[in-house]
Amino acid sequence: MAKLTLDDLRNLRDEKKRQMTQRSAEGKRGEVTIGMGTCGIAAGAKIVFDAFLDEMEKAGITDVTIKQTGCMGLCFSEPTVEVSCNDMPHVVYGNVDEKTARRIVREHLEGGALVSDHIFDKPSTDIIKGAE
Amino acid sequence: MHATLCDLMTDIIQNAVEAGATEIELTIRETAEEIEFKVKDNGKGMSSESKAKAVDPFYSDGCKHAHRRVGLGLSFLFQTAEAAGGEAAIESQEGIGTVIRFRAQAHHVDLPPFGDFPVAAAMMLTLLPKGEMCINRTVGAKTYRLLRSELEEALGGLDSAENLNMLKTFIASQEEDLRKAG
Repeated sequence: MAKLTLDDLRNLRDEKKRQMTQRSAEGKRGEVTIGMGTCGIAAGAKIVFDAFLDEMEKAGITDVTIKQTGCMGLCFSEPTVEVSCNDMPHVVYGNVDEKTARRIVREHLEGGALVSDHIFDKPSTDIIKGAE
Repeated sequence: MHATLCDLMTDIIQNAVEAGATEIELTIRETAEEIEFKVKDNGKGMSSESKAKAVDPFYSDGCKHAHRRVGLGLSFLFQTAEAAGGEAAIESQEGIGTVIRFRAQAHHVDLPPFGDFPVAAAMMLTLLPKGEMCINRTVGAKTYRLLRSELEEALGGLDSAENLNMLKTFIASQEEDLRKAG
């Protein structure tokens, strides 16, 4: 690979933007937040972060942002990932490895279904609030 | 323990973010004999009492998690440096900021692998919610610099998978060039 300059990076971005013209660009519908405390890093959060980037790009998901945070207090179930999407309960997934990260992208972000076997923070509060 | 040097760096950057820093500078230098890095931030800094306790794994300031009694990030860093024939140090002033230094022998048997720097750097550059982050990277006589504000402007944002993948590609190209020359 040739060494890229900032102008190359701008051109790459413009090219990607052109490729995305058919997709909806109307705001963001959700957010994925990956825990990057000492516990998360030691448990493999970097691999999870990379898997999210890869799978979201493959799935063409451009309306969900990726963020990072420190320890969420669930060190026993690291790596943890918080997913917040419109019209779905707010959830924290635990013990997320590369394979689970890819499942979250395909099942939760794309398919609108919770990855139930990895939910560590119960979504019931949101569901109850939503039903009120 | 952290598996790679990149994990150690990310942890220290995360500490800086949690200390309220708005400017963070990471400098990494590799020679044939040594590897060293320095993280400088303008966060809240540490009192001399906190600084003395910071490397104790059974100490945490309790600011984030009130009942927590452990803080492992800096302990991992010091332990790794000492195991790999080097040293780590903290300089800090309350209200001014903190500088963390790490140095180890490049070919020491107990030195963890360097790790996937393009991914780690993309993570570190985007950990700070608001502010400036700079990475200075040197291998031998060659060097490059990453400035968050420049990259954010070039990509039009650093919060989508697409942009972060482009950022990774950009950093990978800098690394490849550095390694070729080094």
